[in-house]
Amino acid sequence: MLLQQLVNGLTLGSVYALIALGYTMVYGILEMINFAHGEIYMIGSYLCIIFLGVFTGLGLTESHLLLSLCLSGILSAVTCAGIGVTMERIAYRPIRSAHRLSPLISALGVSIFLQNFVMLTQGSSDKVVPHLFSAQAVQFAAFPITPIQLSIISAAILLMAGLHLFVQKTRLGMAMRAVAQDKMMASLCGIPIDRVIMVTFIIGSALAAVAGVMVSIYYGVTHFTIGYVAGIKAFTAAVLGGIGSIPGAMLGGILLGLTESLGAAYVSSEFKDGFAFIILIAILIFRPTGLLGKRT
Amino acid sequence: MMFRALFLGFLLLFSNGCHKKAPEIVIGTAGPMTGDQSKQGGDIVNGVRLAVDEWNEKGGIGGIKIRLEVGDDQHDPKQAVSVANKMVNLGIVGMVGHFNSSASIPASSVYHSAGVPMITPGSTNPRLTDQGFKTVFRVCGRDDQQGKVAAQFAVQSFQAKRIAILHDKTTYGQGLAEEFQKAVLSFNVGAEIVSFDGITQGDKDFRSILTTLKGKNPDLFFFGGIFPEGGVLVKQAKEMGMTAPMISGDGVFDPKFIEIAGPAAEGTFLTFAPDPENIPSAKGFLQRYKAKHGNELAPYAIYAYDATNILLTALSQVGGHGMRDGKKVSEAIRNLKYDGALGRTEFDAKGDVKISPYIVWITEGGKFKEHWNPVKG
Repeated sequence: MLLQQLVNGLTLGSVYALIALGYTMVYGILEMINFAHGEIYMIGSYLCIIFLGVFTGLGLTESHLLLSLCLSGILSAVTCAGIGVTMERIAYRPIRSAHRLSPLISALGVSIFLQNFVMLTQGSSDKVVPHLFSAQAVQFAAFPITPIQLSIISAAILLMAGLHLFVQKTRLGMAMRAVAQDKMMASLCGIPIDRVIMVTFIIGSALAAVAGVMVSIYYGVTHFTIGYVAGIKAFTAAVLGGIGSIPGAMLGGILLGLTESLGAAYVSSEFKDGFAFIILIAILIFRPTGLLGKRT
Repeated sequence: MMFRALFLGFLLLFSNGCHKKAPEIVIGTAGPMTGDQSKQGGDIVNGVRLAVDEWNEKGGIGGIKIRLEVGDDQHDPKQAVSVANKMVNLGIVGMVGHFNSSASIPASSVYHSAGVPMITPGSTNPRLTDQGFKTVFRVCGRDDQQGKVAAQFAVQSFQAKRIAILHDKTTYGQGLAEEFQKAVLSFNVGAEIVSFDGITQGDKDFRSILTTLKGKNPDLFFFGGIFPEGGVLVKQAKEMGMTAPMISGDGVFDPKFIEIAGPAAEGTFLTFAPDPENIPSAKGFLQRYKAKHGNELAPYAIYAYDATNILLTALSQVGGHGMRDGKKVSEAIRNLKYDGALGRTEFDAKGDVKISPYIVWITEGGKFKEHWNPVKG
């Protein structure tokens, strides 16, 4: 039972962590909270259903389920990366040097626009993922984990490890760290800032899209409002881990997922959403820089 | 001065003349027209509109045409109050709505203080008519009746020994869950309530609470709530290997429930009114409704249709200026013995229907089927 709750929490936490990475990377570089980030996750979940529908129509799903799922995921991630870059180009870049509040308000505007766009084009009722899998859970001996949970957790771990290597070991990753430390100095050293920011948005949006894709398969339904709550929770995770810190976002996401899951199980499921915000308030009061954040 | 007064007088006359339109009777309907429950709202509008059109084809009430105003409360209590105020300002003489109990109850006090009679096609929370408003009616049953039928089925027919209860924390969902719990305990046959907990409307992940439920090993779990959560609940419960079937109320009775849950919906029990297809008096309505809106199941359209006809019949009985007098119209509604699509409808002193209509349905082969009748067993 406890084991099962830990698995539930870990799955939820992996999803929060993937979304939180986008928040934290953008904050690290631009020092702005991209409140439209949750909507990218929501769009990812819708795109997955749309692409799956297309592949099912082509007959690919029937013959190669896994291939069809992976292709849907990759295509959703690519499309969302495109949306992320466009968003940065249109809504954030023109006001990059403006007052700190301007990009924040612009982000809220983008969020409202994307939500309503999806509602108008996809309808306001729940969108259902085609029933592809047998409803029964597969148990690995005494370890109660479903294949979907396992793939969410392992995909999240792989992506996070990949991101860590990318940021630490590649030239572009180094450029990102440099821009995060000092934009002016980085540009004086010849680092193309605009391109680095673009890459940040591409990676962040693609990760959120992957989270959305996995969640729509995991939950079986999606709705145009899911980005809002998920976005706020991922933001909480990012703050919990220390906003701007990549390992912090991963840790924060997992901790938040576990807290929610165990809280709903052992305290009361009525307050499931409340736990995230209790954590947010506690962190802001007692350790505003987060668990792994730099003290400045 | 004299000239100015004359001029003003003319202006007034003139403007009065300008505003004179053909007289009409305005009635309103309201419910969730946008959002995840927009299907229900749309079904209700279709039912109301069908009735209004039929009356207008026959010449309206005393030669005066009827106009319908539609309000969208987005199943939000605050929005419902603002819709109610707007409707009152539009001068409606009667309201068919709202749909959700959490919307109907706050809206009802607005209509009541404005003296506008209100008949809801789908709000089942007991509190709506227990407030003592003489202008509030419902053509559906009450949750204490519904909860009792569900409980009777659970302990007598299904013979459940361990029952878990979940609700969505709304007026309707939690109210129904509490009535169910009360009824189960009142039967006193040794059935145990192993848990009573809430989930959040709009949430899509119920695995933590379901894991806890599964650990308590119930043989039946009750859900008080609406189909978007109901569908996800049974789907995830089956995925987690839970074998206990779900039993729920009229809020889950919608084709979208089966669409969301897929094969996992099989074997779910729902309390709802008997199938209109088996009611002889509903035949004409169903034919006309399906000719316009297709064959898709629209559970609440027939209630909206009958509620509208009841309102319009009462208005036509009162007639003339009396139609603006909400008390008189309500009195007429209360005294009505109306034979409509649902059969005979009569109201008691509170505004509830005299005969509680609930039976238990089951989901089988991707369809809802009548399963158990508390009277016949």
